[in-house]
Amino acid sequence: MELFVQTLVNGLVLGAGYAVIAVGLTLIFGIVGIANFAHGAFFAMGGYASYLLTARGLNYFVAVPLAALIVVAIGAFIEWAIIRRSLYGDSHHGSLIVTFALGQAGVAGLILLFGPDPLPVTSPLGQSTMRFLGIFVTSQRAFIFICSIVVLGALGLWLQLSVKGQQVIAVAQNARGALYSGIDVPWIRTIAFVLGVGAAGLAGALLAPISTIFPTMGHGALIVGFTVVILGGMGSIPGAMFGALLIGVANALFETYVSVSWTPALGWGLVIATLLFRPQGLLGRVQQHRH
Amino acid sequence: MTAKRPGAMAGTASGSMVRELVYVACAVACIAALGLTFSDPFIVTLAGYTCAFALFALSINVILGGVGEVPLGQCLFFGVGSYGVAIGMGKLGLPFEVAVLAALVLSVVWAAIIGAITLRLTGAYFSIVSWGLTGVAMVAANNLDDITGGPLGLFGFPPIKVGPLELSDPQTYFMVTAFILLAAILFLVAVRRSPFGAAMESVRQNPHLARSVGVDVARVRLKAFLLSAPLAALAGALSVPYTQIVTPEVFNVANTVDGLLMVLLGGARLIIGPVIGAGMFTLIPQVMNLDPNVRILVFSSIIILIMMFAPGGLHQLGLALRDRFGRKKDVHGS
Repeated sequence: MELFVQTLVNGLVLGAGYAVIAVGLTLIFGIVGIANFAHGAFFAMGGYASYLLTARGLNYFVAVPLAALIVVAIGAFIEWAIIRRSLYGDSHHGSLIVTFALGQAGVAGLILLFGPDPLPVTSPLGQSTMRFLGIFVTSQRAFIFICSIVVLGALGLWLQLSVKGQQVIAVAQNARGALYSGIDVPWIRTIAFVLGVGAAGLAGALLAPISTIFPTMGHGALIVGFTVVILGGMGSIPGAMFGALLIGVANALFETYVSVSWTPALGWGLVIATLLFRPQGLLGRVQQHRH
Repeated sequence: MTAKRPGAMAGTASGSMVRELVYVACAVACIAALGLTFSDPFIVTLAGYTCAFALFALSINVILGGVGEVPLGQCLFFGVGSYGVAIGMGKLGLPFEVAVLAALVLSVVWAAIIGAITLRLTGAYFSIVSWGLTGVAMVAANNLDDITGGPLGLFGFPPIKVGPLELSDPQTYFMVTAFILLAAILFLVAVRRSPFGAAMESVRQNPHLARSVGVDVARVRLKAFLLSAPLAALAGALSVPYTQIVTPEVFNVANTVDGLLMVLLGGARLIIGPVIGAGMFTLIPQVMNLDPNVRILVFSSIIILIMMFAPGGLHQLGLALRDRFGRKKDVHGS
């Protein structure tokens, strides 16, 4: 029983980290209408930004939001230079190829700048653990869990309560209708892309002390992000959160009770089952043909 | 009617027939000349491997240029080809040809199973799920030690021969792969000119319209998938004499990315576009002595620029230039 509860908690904490990545991905898919294959590269950039800042002696807790801001700036530039120009047209697989190439270029750039080897990011929380009702959680993971809840909660409140947030939701539901009712759709898309990418950067900075940073660290994040997003329903923000927790818990249970080495295949098994039996995802709505 | 179909390589039937025969003869002469004159084993082997990989790019282009999906999971079939040869020769002691044949059959079977799942999806969903399946394949290859040799992979094969031809000899290897590549190109040209080629083109341009005029879209997509799989498996099988080892890394998406870059460089609308792209992708970095990461950075940037300004690849740029100099406009790239 103790093992089961511990596994469950581990899974939830893991899933909270996934949720930040996946919400960014699903936001971009829902608003901008592209599957952002460069998401993993932005995740890695967040990790590297936190490394550069902490290596300059900055406190990790200050470095995390700054790292996210740096990624936001990079994302804003890329949105302006590339995404805006090539992807809002009607080219069917153009966006997929461009974001994929962007991701490849980003990772190659990181390797050239920092080398292929893992680098450590030190968090003041170190390796300490917390004990709560007999359950152990490392302090860093608890910090990630709290940060995810704060960030996702803030995002949810912003979407529900602010005018801009409501506009974002309107664009996600019906971009043309939003345009006709006077919403600046291109600007909303820019905001969504930059926010989504910033979430990836934040996740990278948060997970950096646990995983160390290396240029291809985003591959795993991207894969997990996509499995979560498809599972929850592409474009659905509550779906992404639910999917993240589900995958986190499923992975943790599978690792504990079945097999560690087969775990990477589990997410894809769930995705394929979802697409076969509930193609719109667990919480997604049925999509009209977008192209 | 057949000869006038857009997308066919040239215009009218009788004149183009002769011209095409000349092209083929030229290609054969070039392969023979290259194979016999170049003796630097490194360059010749690399050329042979490039031909093998160009087959893979052709396979990707059957999906990308044929039905308009981005097949991020195509390296799955490449891996089936590689592992088919490695297991067939190394574990079962089959001759190379038999192992290749078995791998091709196996790749078609897998394509039928996978296609049944993934081809219901379109756009990003198709790409993501195909990619995911290669991830599953990699996990399986890592874990099924008894069959695949686990993470270390399979190596130490008996000498690889096709009939009397020793593929360990660089020049023979190059000639064999180059002629197989040529045969594959001719086959794909024939496919493109067949009614099935026309159906595929209609599905790529507008699946809804194609369905409305009576094209069975799902069937065409599945057929294209079944066609692409053995091409990729053949590429995987023919790369084994070069790599001499097969590890789970063949299922790495980076493999597919290389092929995809080749297709996009050369242009997806042209049948030999992927072959031109493959040549550029391997030769330019070789000549300029580029670091692999610089290569990825440069080629990815080129791809972004191409997609932004010339979505048809370098081929489209060439056509635009040709139009500018006032020559007859061709029917390529609708």
